[in-house]
Amino acid sequence: MLRFHRLSGRVSFPGTAGAHVSCHQGSDTKSPSLLFWEPAEESPPPPPAPRHGLRQLITHCQLLPRLCGAMMKKAVEVILLLFLLVSMPHAKGTRHSPPGKPTLTRCRSPEKETFTCWWEPGSDGGLPTTHALYYRKENSETVYECPDYRTAGENSCFFNKNNTSIWVNYNITVVATNTLGSTFSDPMDIDVMYIVKPNPPERLAVTVMEDKSWPFLRVSWEPPHKADTRSGWITLMYEIRVKLEQENKWEMHLAGQQKMFNIFSLRSGGSYLVQVRCKPDHGFWSEWSSTSYIEVPDYFPREKSVWILITVFSAFILVILIWLLHMNSHSLKHCILPPVPGPKIKGFDKQLLKNGKSEEIFSALMVPDFPPTTSSNFEDLLVEYLEVYIPEGQELMLQESKDLHDGCLKSESSTSDSDSGRGSCDSHTLLIDNCGEAKEEERQQDQERMGVEAQRHQKDWEEKGLNYAHEDIVSPDMSSGRVKTWPSVFSPLPQYSSNPPDQQSSLEMAKQHYLSDSLFLPDSSSTYLTQPGHSTRESLEPSYCEFRLSNKQPHQLHPQMQAHQQLHMAHSDVNISSIGCKQAPAGLQSPDLRSTQYVEVQKVNKEDMVLLQPVGKGCRHIELCPQMPQGDNYSKVKGVNSDNILLLQRGVMEEDRCPCEDQEINGAREHSHTASTVTTTQKPTACIHTAMPVQDEMVLAVNGYVDTAIMCTLPTY
Amino acid sequence: MRRVWFAVLALVYLEHLELSMKVGTAPICAYGQAGCHILSLADFFDRVIQQSSRMHGISSDLHSEFEQYFFPSKNSIGKRKCHTYGILTPDDKENAQRLGREELTEVILRLLEAWGDPLSQLYWSMSQDQNQDFNHYSSNKALEISDMVHELRDGVEKMAEKMKLLGVLGNTVSYISPESLVPSSALSFYKQGEFNSLDHHDLLYCFRRDSNKVKNYLQILKCTTLPGLDC
Repeated sequence: MLRFHRLSGRVSFPGTAGAHVSCHQGSDTKSPSLLFWEPAEESPPPPPAPRHGLRQLITHCQLLPRLCGAMMKKAVEVILLLFLLVSMPHAKGTRHSPPGKPTLTRCRSPEKETFTCWWEPGSDGGLPTTHALYYRKENSETVYECPDYRTAGENSCFFNKNNTSIWVNYNITVVATNTLGSTFSDPMDIDVMYIVKPNPPERLAVTVMEDKSWPFLRVSWEPPHKADTRSGWITLMYEIRVKLEQENKWEMHLAGQQKMFNIFSLRSGGSYLVQVRCKPDHGFWSEWSSTSYIEVPDYFPREKSVWILITVFSAFILVILIWLLHMNSHSLKHCILPPVPGPKIKGFDKQLLKNGKSEEIFSALMVPDFPPTTSSNFEDLLVEYLEVYIPEGQELMLQESKDLHDGCLKSESSTSDSDSGRGSCDSHTLLIDNCGEAKEEERQQDQERMGVEAQRHQKDWEEKGLNYAHEDIVSPDMSSGRVKTWPSVFSPLPQYSSNPPDQQSSLEMAKQHYLSDSLFLPDSSSTYLTQPGHSTRESLEPSYCEFRLSNKQPHQLHPQMQAHQQLHMAHSDVNISSIGCKQAPAGLQSPDLRSTQYVEVQKVNKEDMVLLQPVGKGCRHIELCPQMPQGDNYSKVKGVNSDNILLLQRGVMEEDRCPCEDQEINGAREHSHTASTVTTTQKPTACIHTAMPVQDEMVLAVNGYVDTAIMCTLPTY
Repeated sequence: MRRVWFAVLALVYLEHLELSMKVGTAPICAYGQAGCHILSLADFFDRVIQQSSRMHGISSDLHSEFEQYFFPSKNSIGKRKCHTYGILTPDDKENAQRLGREELTEVILRLLEAWGDPLSQLYWSMSQDQNQDFNHYSSNKALEISDMVHELRDGVEKMAEKMKLLGVLGNTVSYISPESLVPSSALSFYKQGEFNSLDHHDLLYCFRRDSNKVKNYLQILKCTTLPGLDC
């Protein structure tokens, strides 16, 4: 408060916060008109001067009317000046403005009997501002002010029980006031019914209760003491949360209106934290109560020992099982993974066979480097031959061709082939040394037979009437009129007879290697027989029996191989022996050359029997010989006679005529047609021309499978 | 064809089950007549309080729906007046406790009586109103609370009878006809011209509050009559 003393009375400016301006007689009266400010004191202004002073004042003041007027004016000016001065520092910092708008943040009632409202003041506008809360009740125009600003703290208004009415709408407003103005907040409508937020429950107690050695927690609490649930005025619902000390996630349980709760499924030895909170039916959740700690005793101390026992026991059982498995591994292996028999033909693809494309099958069988031009491993080319003993002298001059292979060699190497019929060297009844000789010669001469096959064959034919077997595998390589030489092995019988005696010793000792052609019928899935090539030298006398090698790998024998040439019955699905007609010499003992007649296989019937028909001189092809009888069947090996002749007989199913008979091409020629088909299912058989007297000589092998020594029976006409 | 037969048979069986279930339940009666299942007073109170709680819940939902749909700006309540203003109801705990059981029961009954008709009319009005899309669901709720009010009133009457029998309640409770206290046509009270959604809103607001009062009074009544675990 500023006081401005003047001689003449006081002027007070209420607007300036009670500044008083008054006439004041200064202590020194040098300048009675001196005006000076004096800070106003709380105490009342000093009493006037003593009387003499007063008289002086009066005398002075008597002069005042004029002076006072002037002084008044000056005082006002000074006042204004000073006011400006005072207000200057304020103006330098902030601007004075009416207060900002306050906002009512929330109102809460803890027990539905009292409530509190809080607000947030706005900017104060640079001046000290005061706030006031006014409210109006529903359907009433009376405005009341907040009865209590203090109880609930700063910027709050507390409504006590007397001022609180439930189910009554309150319209509340807060006003911020400063020297410059006042600002009203937005009104807020509340019904105490819906703003209840109780205090947290109290006296939370957690105990461990025993239940047949499975303990559980019993949690109990009290409602907040302010909330009157006892009279039913307020109804509370409770919620509990539990967690283990080391975990992060709480487990919530809604407890309804009850004040007690049980928690089961505790961890043995665990330490738990429990909290509880409450909520009225229409209101807000309270805060969580203080945490209560509880420790669960170890009710399952045997836990670890049980696990140890279980582990040991299971390990023990495991060891026993492993030992048992190990002992029976072999039998188990056989039981679980039985050995699967598979095709033993090298290069033969079962899948292709199933697909039914014969071309591809047999092309697969075609080894690229077959016949081996270089010294190849003979053991790779296993073909089983029917071993037939050929006497030394009757050895044919066989030219080696590229396709020459030593079946004998192979046979020795294929000891592991259980399915293969061992017709030759591997058999214990055979002369192994004969085999060996043959092999050696084979090997030696293998390299030399690179010449023109056909010519040599022809030459041989001319010379000796060799019998050639014509072989073709996939692509009949028939030069014009020339015989494609697969080595044929056959020597006329006289040659055979001139063999060393060891050959005659036994059936088994005598072997004759027959060259088996792998002849394939184009229309059959397995084999076909190609037309045996004809040479111009068809007039060759000697006839021979040819046995056919497996279709897979025809072996060619050295033409100059010895008598012991082995014919292996190859283990394959279809083995067809081509048959060449071999004309027996006049006598079994005569080593004359016989003319050879070729038989070509017409077809292979369902029983895997090759139906042969002779190929006449003028009939190179089957088609040109319509008179060729059909369906002759040579099925059985009748046996081997004493002269080391293989007796073949015709199959019973077919007509009883050898086709060769019909063709008296060369006049009275004795032909023996032997045809044998060899399959895995069927034993190789041969049929013997009925005209052949040798037919009478029944020997053996009715069932047909020619095992060791197969003697070619030559017709003895 | 067989499937159809099977379905038909199944339906028939289920229906029978349902009927039998309905038949199997015994009605509650206060006097213990033959064929009734006698309720204890505690059961009475529980049932009545549950019913009133449900009623209040549905009315709350309805009101909030209205508020959301029509008044998103959340207007102030304004000068709303409920037609039950004539019924003096205690505003706070002391007043309620000061009333006593008989008067409290009377207040409850009066309130329930006062709301029977307006709610029926509200339902009728809402079902008639074709404008709103959501009216279909809301009108179902209005029908539900209308039924509930009647049921609750009957229930409280029976309970009062039982209390009288037990001697807990004095005989001063009388069923004052609410017409003297409540305008005859409650709806006209709310009507401002045409009874539209605005009026619906006001009516629902009033009913929500009154149902809360009923529920609270019943709870007080229970706890003063049967102090137990729940109180």
